[in-house]
Amino acid sequence: MDSERIFGLLVAQIRDTVPDLETHPIARGDVLADLGVDSMERSEIILAALEEIGLKVPMVDLHGPRNIGELAELLAAKSGG
Amino acid sequence: MDIAFTGIGVGCGAGHGKPAFRHALFDAPDLFGVLRREGRESPADTPPFLGVEMPDPPDILPPRQARTASFSARAALSSLAEVWDQAGLDAIAPNRIGLIVAGTNLMAREQALALRAYSDRLVYVPPRHGHMFLDTDICGLCTAAFAIRGFARTVGAASASGAVAIISATEALRAGAVDACIVIGAMQDPGAHDLQALRAMGAMGAPHFADQPGRACRPMDRDHDGFLYGEACAALVLQRAGDIDDGAILGRLLGAGQVADGTRGPEPISAAQVQAAERALAEAGLTAADIDYVNGHATGTPAGDATEIETYRTLGLGHARINATKSITGHPLSAAAVVEVAAVLMQMAEGRLHPTRNLETPLDADFGWVGPGGATHAINHALKFSFGFGGISTALIIGAP
Repeated sequence: MDSERIFGLLVAQIRDTVPDLETHPIARGDVLADLGVDSMERSEIILAALEEIGLKVPMVDLHGPRNIGELAELLAAKSGG
Repeated sequence: MDIAFTGIGVGCGAGHGKPAFRHALFDAPDLFGVLRREGRESPADTPPFLGVEMPDPPDILPPRQARTASFSARAALSSLAEVWDQAGLDAIAPNRIGLIVAGTNLMAREQALALRAYSDRLVYVPPRHGHMFLDTDICGLCTAAFAIRGFARTVGAASASGAVAIISATEALRAGAVDACIVIGAMQDPGAHDLQALRAMGAMGAPHFADQPGRACRPMDRDHDGFLYGEACAALVLQRAGDIDDGAILGRLLGAGQVADGTRGPEPISAAQVQAAERALAEAGLTAADIDYVNGHATGTPAGDATEIETYRTLGLGHARINATKSITGHPLSAAAVVEVAAVLMQMAEGRLHPTRNLETPLDADFGWVGPGGATHAINHALKFSFGFGGISTALIIGAP
């Protein structure tokens, strides 16, 4: 799955998990913590996205990315897209 | 040191809030039916489980928290919001307020549903389930939403959980740990596995009234054949009576007793029940002759009712009026004692006793049963019994304000 589609999945999960962000614009350069997403919500968002992509990756392997765009890139690379 | 009750919040089959509970108690509408909540389906080819289910609680939490809050937590927050205002807890420093949530395995039905939903994709279990499977999740949601910073904990004693939580609250107040202690009898949410086990053990009814849910719950009646589960939840605020205006006092906790029966299962032990009452009376400086009203544990199981009547007889409670709140609400399991202490306090305020539904032919005519018609009565000293599996017998003495 390509990075652009994964970014879309992540944004949808962010809005589901944090209803406060339902209408808030979210860009690739945004950082989850800066959007007010707490660490438990971050895990929920990523795990739900992993399931949609069909990817099984330990959470500890996903700590590098500095923003949502980079997270989408990393997940795309791991999914072979 | 006198301990006073200063707030009541409650939810039951008739709705959330004191007006709905008052209607349930004094009008005694039939709230019983087939249990319909997802995860409470009876085994194939067996009669459905009967009992009482409550309407959805009002939204107290913002959607961000409500999204992952259990049904039991949302009911607890509704009762907490109600007592918070009544007891004026905004005026007390947050670090002088404590919270005790009564009950264990409170969210079993939702856990069973999650287990089913993720059984073939365990790797995707939501991380949050790591704190949601603990009963303390209710403590967390309550203290995040309300300014409670003294302490928060859960206390378990099966169907006597609420009584033991009230005893724990009085200990915290007497020790000076806090100035107000909230006790929540959180809604126990059993799933089909738990309900079937309770039915198989012979505790939960009701084979004889499977087609008439409204007649099936019959505490202390000759035709009783087991308890019926009922969703309910309540919160109480306890404070040292000396700290507050008399006008704010809804009732006083005069004495309490808890005895370990030395048994593991559901079998009730009258001698232990008597001893719990004697300890509570001794602490209150009263005798059984001073008790004018008994709110029974009275679940409707043949063994439980018979044993409890033996206890009344041994104590010499023939003169007292007695009713059974579970005949109206069903049996809320770990929430029962808090819900029923709320019922005692509301009957005290109203000067009347609620009906005992379906009490048509009392097991023993020698007692002052309040039948289906209710009664006028000014409560002076109430005795509240609560018993739990695992050999837990408790008694509370509650005095008029």
